[in-house]
Amino acid sequence: MSEPTNPFVSSSGRRATCMEMLQLFLDGEVTTEQREYFLSHMDHCMPCFKSYQVDMAIKQLLKDRCCGDGAPVDLVAQIKAQIIQKDS
Amino acid sequence: MDEGVRQVYTEAEKQEIFEKEFLPHINAMYNFGYRLTLERDDAKDLVQDTYFKAYRFIESFQKGTNAKAWLFRILKNSFINDYRKKTKEPSKVDYQEVETYYNSDDVHRQITPDLRVDSLKDMIGDEISNALNSLDVDFRTVIILCDLEGFKYEEMAKILDIPIGTVRSRLHRARQLLKDKLSEYAKSMGYKNT
Ligand SMILES: [Zn+2]
Repeated sequence: MSEPTNPFVSSSGRRATCMEMLQLFLDGEVTTEQREYFLSHMDHCMPCFKSYQVDMAIKQLLKDRCCGDGAPVDLVAQIKAQIIQKDS
Repeated sequence: MDEGVRQVYTEAEKQEIFEKEFLPHINAMYNFGYRLTLERDDAKDLVQDTYFKAYRFIESFQKGTNAKAWLFRILKNSFINDYRKKTKEPSKVDYQEVETYYNSDDVHRQITPDLRVDSLKDMIGDEISNALNSLDVDFRTVIILCDLEGFKYEEMAKILDIPIGTVRSRLHRARQLLKDKLSEYAKSMGYKNT
């Protein structure tokens, strides 16, 4: 019944909420212990499990669709020209 | 740019750093500039200006360290100091409210998504991009840095000159707002909330 020692407890002794743990996990800001703890937490916490699916899908969607088509082709040339000009 | 220690580089070394460490980030920089200003011409100016500054202050940059974070920080500062001042867009974010929101114990209201993975799968057009662009620039910024560019919280704190705790709460709030927006799209696409 009781979970293993919670590695998400802050130095002030406060336990992290579900959404705080989820966020750290989602962004890869967890230690190995925290990672394992949260994975087993998700086995019995439906809100975390559901949110994780959604959050992960959004993160992926952002990465796939919002990174743009790249800088205009002439931009690098313009940057270089500006530097050479002001450098002399 | 204010790391303190100044490096000494020959002209050839400067060129090499510029070519091999700065220029490879041009696409990410341009996208960052575009997502901040939402104008392609302004993005171009901002990136050009950033690279110019990066070259001028190249001696503040230590070869082989995190060039991307360094460049992003210069771009962000140029945006705030030059661009934002010019357009006089004030920040509309109430940070006090952000902190309170994040620290409240109302977990289930916040964590239970009214958005389903199914509905996200159908967002194959500009929905996500428009949703991102609709957020206040400070919220937009943390999502760009974290989700698009994969910066760690510590790097984000340095780029934005804010504490890590603020990075976390701002990011949390930003995602909440993004989800609200996506829920609206999902509803208009005929999905019912579960
Ligand atoms: Zn949970």
